Amino acid sequence: MLRNFVRQRFFVVLVLLVVMLVFFTLTQERFLTPENMSAMMTSSSILWVASLGLTFVMLAGGFDLSIGSMLALCGIGLGWFTNEAGLPLFVAIILTILLGVALGAIVNGIPIGKYGLSFLVVTLGSLILFRGLTNLWSGTKTQQVISPFLDELAFGSTLGLPNPIIVMIVTFLIMLYVQKYTFFGRDVYAVGGNAEAARLSGIRTSRTIIAVYALSAGLAAVAAVLQDARIGAASPQVGDNLVFAAAAAVLLGGTSFSGGIGGVGGTVVGVLFLGVLQNGLSVGGVESYWQQIITGVILIAAIALDLVQRRRTTRSKSLRSTHVQPVSSAS
Amino acid sequence: MSKTLRAGGPALPVLEAAGVMKAYGGVQALKGVDFALFGGEVHALCGENGSGKSTMLKILSAQIAPDAGTISMDGAPVSMRNPVESLAAGISMVTQERTLVSELSVGENVLLGPRKPRSRWGIDWRATRQRAREALDALDCDADVDDLVQDLPPGQAQLVEIARALTNDTKVLILDEPTSSLSAHEVDSLFRAMRALRERGVATVFISHRTQEVFEISDRLTVLRDGRLVSTGVSADYSPTRLVSDMLGRELSAFVPPPEYQTSADAVLSLDALAVRGKFSDVSLSVGKGEIVGIAGLVGAGHSEVLETIFGLHQREAGRIIIDGKAVSIKDAPAAIRAGIGFVPGDRKVGGLVLDMSVLENALMARTSTAARWARPRSASSVAFVEQCVADFSIVTESLDTPVVRLSGGNQQKVLISKWIGTNPSILLLDEPTRGVDVGAKAEIYRILLAQRDAGLSIVISSSEAPELLTLCDRIVVMHAGRVAGTLHKHEADEGAIFRLAMGHVQ
Repeated sequence: MLRNFVRQRFFVVLVLLVVMLVFFTLTQERFLTPENMSAMMTSSSILWVASLGLTFVMLAGGFDLSIGSMLALCGIGLGWFTNEAGLPLFVAIILTILLGVALGAIVNGIPIGKYGLSFLVVTLGSLILFRGLTNLWSGTKTQQVISPFLDELAFGSTLGLPNPIIVMIVTFLIMLYVQKYTFFGRDVYAVGGNAEAARLSGIRTSRTIIAVYALSAGLAAVAAVLQDARIGAASPQVGDNLVFAAAAAVLLGGTSFSGGIGGVGGTVVGVLFLGVLQNGLSVGGVESYWQQIITGVILIAAIALDLVQRRRTTRSKSLRSTHVQPVSSAS
Repeated sequence: MSKTLRAGGPALPVLEAAGVMKAYGGVQALKGVDFALFGGEVHALCGENGSGKSTMLKILSAQIAPDAGTISMDGAPVSMRNPVESLAAGISMVTQERTLVSELSVGENVLLGPRKPRSRWGIDWRATRQRAREALDALDCDADVDDLVQDLPPGQAQLVEIARALTNDTKVLILDEPTSSLSAHEVDSLFRAMRALRERGVATVFISHRTQEVFEISDRLTVLRDGRLVSTGVSADYSPTRLVSDMLGRELSAFVPPPEYQTSADAVLSLDALAVRGKFSDVSLSVGKGEIVGIAGLVGAGHSEVLETIFGLHQREAGRIIIDGKAVSIKDAPAAIRAGIGFVPGDRKVGGLVLDMSVLENALMARTSTAARWARPRSASSVAFVEQCVADFSIVTESLDTPVVRLSGGNQQKVLISKWIGTNPSILLLDEPTRGVDVGAKAEIYRILLAQRDAGLSIVISSSEAPELLTLCDRIVVMHAGRVAGTLHKHEADEGAIFRLAMGHVQ
């Protein structure tokens, strides 16, 4: 059990995260306070939710460049549904999420999953397309979205926990469940690991691929609701760098670009790592470009370390099997 | 059409093919073949390379559709359009390309897809692991269900695939050369598993190039030659001699074990007990100056891998490579080129040519990595060299700037050979040098190679075409199951002798 945990690909990043927490706690007295911790978490909430969706796309061996544009488009959608259409907020939120799921499935999922187009090309196209639609729909103007519920969502708390953190925990637990205990979740791993094997086992691979892009867009829509709530407005300018931060979080969390490896457990470690790094440095008054430099170096180093570890285990295994007679393979 | 059944066997074949035809382009791979498979039997499908047996297995598992003929199960005609439908009908195929997801656990792979047990809250992992465990136990496989497939040795990975077939309510199990990548110990456990399946009434059909294995495990066998059914019957009624003559299509002359040849003192290249784990072991041979040595073998015998290892593409487990009397350690292709070795790989489109680049660029690709690294790519001497090759080897191309993709297979192969001759090698290795090349170009490639030999080049050719080796080689080393089965001198080698050794047919 413990050995398997140590072998997880995000283990190195988790150790670094703990080291960082200890370091900032010892050096910054304003770091480990309830106020600062809760601010750190809530400011990570949008990245957190969007990264969970991107994790599934990457597990299936794809990528979704369009999540930032999708966030902006759905944010504008929520504003329009409440302000222009005058719908009750609850209905507007549901419609916003459905809008994301539908666009993700139709614009990204079907061309990639059903017709086999390159995911980079399709989601690059939809990245531009969704940004254009966002500007068209909003007239490039930011519009206030005033609602007590959204205020409560962003700034209220339940049982002493800030509401955004509750949203984060709930989405994480749901995704963890989907990943481990649903057939869809396991199909995603099989498709990303060996698509041909998955197909021959009766998995509907194209449907699985369409579903991960719908899921990724749907979670970007949930992130859009959080975004509108945080700034109290629907802005067409948000989400520009979201996909880069999300990709960094997912990769730090050990999910690989080649598919089939990783999971949402690692992704939240990656998101927390980025959040703590940014928060700790800004509390300490360090310029934000150091955050970029450190993130970049650690991202590359973590992946290099993983590769080194992998090579070493392969080599020791081949040595073992050379020198030990194959009497029993249980060791 | 089937005459004998084992006592107590069912009357109707569980899977039957009648009059199956299949053509690939202009090549007729199957010319109306009948085949019947009964429950509770292990059936060997035998034939030379190109006899049509792999095509037959692909048709039986619905990976490809036959041009004509019918497939029936339990006496009723069926039409299965793809492997998923054939799987649903109870036909499982274990191919050489693994159908496992290496990142997932053994247990999950056994029950990959929608067959995992459910509980109220989703997938029931305890039941999944238990069912996987039971399937593996039935095969005598002690792999841990929680281990990742990527950590398994190849033999166990294959058993995991068979275990999957078992949980799938399989009636027919199709194994395409299941033993080619296994160690002797792993073959034993595979055979135990095949016998366990036979007890359960599963029909198994498999391809093997090893005569001994065919007689050890199969109840009945079917021999194909040139896309036609030659004979089918109870394996015990066949003698090894009859099996080989059915496969070859003629009687073989009496077999006299060849005398051992001495390693010549001035060998340019010699291998001393070379071994690569999982590929081949204890391979020794030597090549003199201006000599062509052939390595023969059936698919999976390890002959291609020997060449790749000399060129530094596989890690040696044991043994030495000696060039000009000195043991060398060649780790990669640049080191091999520096040591004076050229290598024409078996698949020119993968390891040989960049298809969209020009004749000139392809012909100079290896050359620029040695002598002319800092020269301009279009220097006069480079262009002159390629022009010379085009003239000498009669390469048909519009210009030196034509992309090689527009050339015929034979001309592509000649460009590839030019590329290596341009590095001025002392040793040239060629794997299947005339694969996919028409007869005219084949003769020209032979002429080029013989001319290079006469100019002092030492050549090693690996080929599964015996006539090719007989035409070119001064000596032929025949491999079987990763080992040298024998060495034949030009004057004593014929197709039958090569084939006998390649089948592991030693009496």
